[in-house]
Order: sequence, then C-alpha cells, then structure tokens
Amino acid sequence: MIRVLRRAFSDFIRHRFLHGVCLFTIALAVFIVCAFTMFFINAGDLMKQWQRGVRINAYLEQDAGQSTARKAREAAGQIEGVESVSYIPREQGLAWLKDQLGAQSSLLSDLEENPLPDALEIKPAEGLEGVEEIESLAEKISALPGVADVEYARKWLHQFYGIYNLFRITAFVMAGLVFVAIMFIVANTMRLILYSRREEIEITRIIGADEAFIKYPFYLEAAMLGLCGGAAGVGLLYCAYITVMPNISAAGFLPFFRVRFIPPAFAAFILISSMLVGWLGCWITIRRFLRV
Amino acid sequence: MEHSNALENQIIRFSGVTKRFGRVYALRDVSFGIRKNDFVFITGPSGAGKSTLIKLLYMGERMSEGYAIIDGMNLARISRRQIPELRRKIGVIFQDFKLIGSLTVFQNVALVMEAAGFKSRSMIKERVEDLLELVGLAHHADAYPPTLSGGEKQRAAVARAMVGKPKIILADEPTASLDPAASERVLQLLRAAHARGATIVITTHDRELLSRFDARVIYLENGRRVEAPDCDRGAEMQEPEARDDGEMA
Repeated sequence: MIRVLRRAFSDFIRHRFLHGVCLFTIALAVFIVCAFTMFFINAGDLMKQWQRGVRINAYLEQDAGQSTARKAREAAGQIEGVESVSYIPREQGLAWLKDQLGAQSSLLSDLEENPLPDALEIKPAEGLEGVEEIESLAEKISALPGVADVEYARKWLHQFYGIYNLFRITAFVMAGLVFVAIMFIVANTMRLILYSRREEIEITRIIGADEAFIKYPFYLEAAMLGLCGGAAGVGLLYCAYITVMPNISAAGFLPFFRVRFIPPAFAAFILISSMLVGWLGCWITIRRFLRV
Repeated sequence: MEHSNALENQIIRFSGVTKRFGRVYALRDVSFGIRKNDFVFITGPSGAGKSTLIKLLYMGERMSEGYAIIDGMNLARISRRQIPELRRKIGVIFQDFKLIGSLTVFQNVALVMEAAGFKSRSMIKERVEDLLELVGLAHHADAYPPTLSGGEKQRAAVARAMVGKPKIILADEPTASLDPAASERVLQLLRAAHARGATIVITTHDRELLSRFDARVIYLENGRRVEAPDCDRGAEMQEPEARDDGEMA
C-alpha cells in the first residue's frame, strides 16, 4: 500500500502540469455544481420563510350565524396541517379594509351595510411543504359547513414553486452532467499519462509485475485527482462565500434572511463523489488502453 | 532412462515452434532444448528470428504453433494470470537497456523485487545494494539512467535481471551497443550469474564473441534452426548437443 501511495504521489508530481489542468477543470465543475446547489438550498430556505407567512382565508356564508361560525372554526382547527384559526367578524374585516385603503377609505363610507362576510384566518402548520399540501388543506377547509369561499395566494405560490422546482431539476441535471464531464476529464488525463508511460508499463510487465501492481497506482492517482479537484472546488466556493457575504449583508439585501453555505454532509458527498468519479474515469481508460 | 533424465533436466524446451506475423514467418518449426545452468548463444544474421525467440521465451509474444516448456510451464497453454509468474523466473537484458528513465538505478533494480511481492524494505535494500556492488554501480545508486554511459546502463540492466534470483537470464544482443571494455564487463557479470546457477541464453551476431566462449551455440537463419555455417564450424564443434530433435546428448 505504501508503495502504491508513493508511486501515485510521485506520479502526481511528475505530471504536475497535466494534473494541474485536470484538477483546475474538476474544481471549476464542482464549484459550479456547489454554487448552484447553494443557491437552490437558500432559495428553498427563503421559500419556507415566505411560506410561513401564507394564510388561508375562509369566508363564511352571509347568513351564517355565530353558532355556524363557531362550529366552522372548531372543525378547521381539527384539520391536520392547521396551526391556528382566528375568527374575524365582518366588522373587523371592514375596519381592516378601510385601514388598508387609507386615504381612499371614503369610498366605503357610502355603503349602507357591511358587504363583507365573517371570516376565518387559518395559519398552516410549519411542517406543511409545497403548494400541493396547501392546496389540499384549502380544499378541506372549503368543504366545511358554513364556508362559502376560500382564498389564499394560490397563483403566487404556484409561480414560486414552479421556479423552485425548475431550479431543483436544473441542479440535479447539472450535477449529473458535471460528474459525467469530470469522469471524461479524468479518463482523458489518465489516457495521456498512460500513453506517456507506455514504455515504463511495458518494462514493468517484462520484469514480472502483475496487473494489480501496474494498475493500482493509476487508480489511486485518479481518485486523488478527483478528491483534490472536488476539495479545491468546494474550497473555492467557501472563499467566495466568506468574501461576498459580508458585502451582501452590508448592502442590506434580504435583511431578514441569512444565506448559508452548503451543508457539511453535502460537501462530503461531493468530495466522495468526485473521488469515485475519478476512479471510474481511470477504470474506463485502463480497460480500454491497458490490455495485455 | 537416460533420455527421460535428459528431458527432465531441460529448463527450456522448444518443439516445432512457429511464430507468424500475419503471413510473415519470424520463426518456423524451431526445436531445441536447454539444460539447467547451460550457457547458450543464439546466433544468426539480422532478421533470423533471434529477438522473436527471446520474446517468445518471456511471453512478449505468443507462439503461433508448436509448444514450449519453460521450467515446467507450458507456454502454449499459459493463462494471462500466469505470465507474471513465468516472468519472475526470467531476467531479461535488452540491447537498448529498457531502464525506466524516471527512476534511479536503485529504484529500477528494486522494482523487480517490489513487483515480485517482497515487502521488507530492508531486505530489498540489502539485496539491491549487493547487486549494485557486484556490477560496480554502488556509487551510481541514486543516479538516473539518462545520466549514465551505455556500459553503466547495461550493468544496471544486468543487476535488474539478476536481483530476483531468476533461474534463466535472457540477454538480447546485450553487447551490441557497447565498446569492447564495457562488453567484457557485462559478459563477466553474465558469467558470474551463470556461476551462481542461472541458465544463460544470449542472442548475438558477434562472431568474435562466440569464439571467446566455450559455450553451446544455436544457429538461426530466416527463422529456421540451421547447421552452423562453414565459417562457424569451429564454434559448432564445441556444441555438445544433438540438434535435430532438441534433446541433449
């Protein structure tokens, strides 16, 4: 093992230009994937934060009495996924509307009677995720006796989740493509190295080396290349993060939201994946170019 | 009984070996036997098939027809996995040395032991240093092959061929690119290996070299084994074996 490590390291240094170019390319690819993932994670966090502000308004029937309103409120509170239910009498609703209209509230002064119905304001539970779950909750509420109509930011949520899902799919596709690219980069680099060392490999065979003795240092070298490239990519992103973030905070963008770096588990996943992909690239090359 | 003893004593046995490259015959129906600890020259003009024969011996090429046995291993049936095992029984010396330029002399020689699976660094160090001392390259242990003279490179190659204590040493024109003094030094080393019990097979087209050795000579011409040419009868007289069926006399 020590011999294999020593040979792999010395080879790494001997072909430093080739390895350097390969490492930089892998680092750049990993940087792009991680940056995209970081954006995706933070967009998700931001969505969750905004989602916490989403309220479902259930308007009761005009002739619903106090008893119907109380029953509807109790029934709504028992639905799974509801955190709290507030009862808003029609008078309070009109006062809120006037307050929102501000200077234009005089438009409502000519009304002979309050046109607004009594309403229930429902706050979804925090665990609720995705527009589908909110839609399902809204349907359950609209089916309650005494509820005439349900209103929530349906269109806005659809648009936002659409964008969010697009980012998620793009991130997965990009990650897949980038890992395939890394595999081919390593495979090509290893091919050049094998080509430049073909005579040495031939001599090593003649003196009695078996295939494992010849191949293992190459596998290790490729895995090291993948690992170092991955680490460089993640490191580069971290440097960019700690450099850019204070400037974003100072500029006052998104004061209520703290952008976070990719989770350590994801960084570890990237490093291990880069290493495995490097190994796989080498395996492909060796199968094609190192036949006996 | 004597016949079977003679066969058992043969470390190399070629029988009807043919090697074709496409339609071109490099060797055709070649048969001979070489006993353990023999010192044998294979000679013939350029293109006679000497190097091809050496390649067949270390499985650098596979034969097209016939069979060959080296130290009990049948080359016609040898599997890919067995080839390294065969090669560890053989040390090979080439005209162009075939040293790895990026490794030092010490590392080049030690590589044979590492490839053979020796784990002990101290054992490898001791054995390699002994060999470099023997070939007179102890002071060049840390030098890289491109910085050495031709003679020094070939001595390093001899050390590499000897370090694994092989039963057979094959030398393909080992002195062809060396001056007389360097050639003599390399031949002395091969004699030393022979004295240690190795079977030595050398290809050469140098008649002067043949005349200086009391050794068996196998002649090749156009890929076939032939009787000694008239001018080489002197050397042929010294060959103790019958040659037509590959058995020893």
